[in-house]
Amino acid sequence: MENIIEFKNVNKWFGKLHVLKDINLQIPKGEILVICGPSGSGKSTLIRCINRLEDIQKGEIIVNKIPVHDKSASLTRLRADIGFVFQQFHLYPHMTVLQNIMLAPVQVKKMDKAKAETIAMEKLDRVGLAEKSGAYPAQLSGGQQQRVAIARGLAMSPEIMLFDEPTSALDPEMIGEVLDVMVNLVSEGMTMCVVTHEMGFAKKVAHRVLFMDEGKIIETGTPSDFFDHPKTDRAASFISMILTH
Amino acid sequence: MLADFNFRVILEYLPLFLTGLRSTFLISIVSIGLAIATGIIACACRISGIRLIKYPAIAYIEIVRSTPLLVQIYFLYFGLPTLGIRVPEIQTGILALMLNSGAYIAEIIRAGINSVEPGQIEAGVSSGLNYIQRMRFIILPQALGVTVPPLLGQAIVLVKDSALLSLISVAELTRAGQTLTSERFMPSEAFFTVAFFYMCIYFCLKALADWSQRKLIFREAY
Repeated sequence: MENIIEFKNVNKWFGKLHVLKDINLQIPKGEILVICGPSGSGKSTLIRCINRLEDIQKGEIIVNKIPVHDKSASLTRLRADIGFVFQQFHLYPHMTVLQNIMLAPVQVKKMDKAKAETIAMEKLDRVGLAEKSGAYPAQLSGGQQQRVAIARGLAMSPEIMLFDEPTSALDPEMIGEVLDVMVNLVSEGMTMCVVTHEMGFAKKVAHRVLFMDEGKIIETGTPSDFFDHPKTDRAASFISMILTH
Repeated sequence: MLADFNFRVILEYLPLFLTGLRSTFLISIVSIGLAIATGIIACACRISGIRLIKYPAIAYIEIVRSTPLLVQIYFLYFGLPTLGIRVPEIQTGILALMLNSGAYIAEIIRAGINSVEPGQIEAGVSSGLNYIQRMRFIILPQALGVTVPPLLGQAIVLVKDSALLSLISVAELTRAGQTLTSERFMPSEAFFTVAFFYMCIYFCLKALADWSQRKLIFREAY
């Protein structure tokens, strides 16, 4: 299958800190990829490079045939095709749920408002929050805000969805509702890259797990191989840590 | 002291005070309007990535903030004519107040813009919104909200600062007090009245500031 995302010898520095070291990665269309690793391992940076929220200093990233590393590449189209869900949701607090979801379709895709609203309601229904369309983010729980953020990403009908620790900022009882929504998305055939430590989610839906440490990809494998028979000591000790946690 | 207080002379000079009050009011309104425009432009330049406009904006803001307003007023009052620009005192005064408050307002607006969580800007970026769209739909609606109370605070400062224009003989409220003092030598009566009128303006603006604050708090809590 063709690769929708491709990293070739990617290197990135924050000042003197070398955060991504010679990353080579191919993500085929439709893959559900889970990225895990200790904090500071570069996993968030890795997915933030995909829609160029972060610049890279060396190497190539090709996403949807667009060379993302090329400074002259048109990023608007690229970004419009990639949904991004943040750890801290980042909904716009001065807009209602519906306005949050409709903003990008109307402004970036120049969709007419009636159509954007239909799509927004459809996506909101998808995450089980249709009745909250008129609410403001501050009136919602963390789990609900994150589900709205997912609906906001889906409203652009993206080919790729990126999730940066989508459940790390949530109370334990809200993690389930967000993961359920994400599991439901799998059937849509979108490519998904999820930075998470939720082993249950990874085992249930991921095609592949990627383990990072100190800016390098240490190992990759199917969820069952990775979690049950890790090849490296580093991965084994990491897995035992999240299990006892 | 209060027994000697001469209310009759205040009444006698009331038309002069009211004319002064009117001047102070008009000078302040015009100055604050111009200062807001100046502040918006200076702030836009200040946060721009283009060095050619960013550094002059920084220089302007820092020069104004590091020197006393009275010095700035004298600088324009004596400096402009040497450049061959002859304008009435009142316009020199408005120019000084505009430039002075404009620098502070630029920083107030910049603080408002910076108060918007960077994550929201990233959310806008990653959904494909361009710089202008992010400004218009995400940043400014939130920044302007938090900016209103400090802007009204700056307006209060400007009204009181306009008293310094009396020193370049602009016929405003404080000047009326000086006139009464020099004609009748009754400084207590003169500046009591002047202070009273400034307080009236202050309380009107403060009421407006409190009202806008309540509005904003209400909006944040929804």
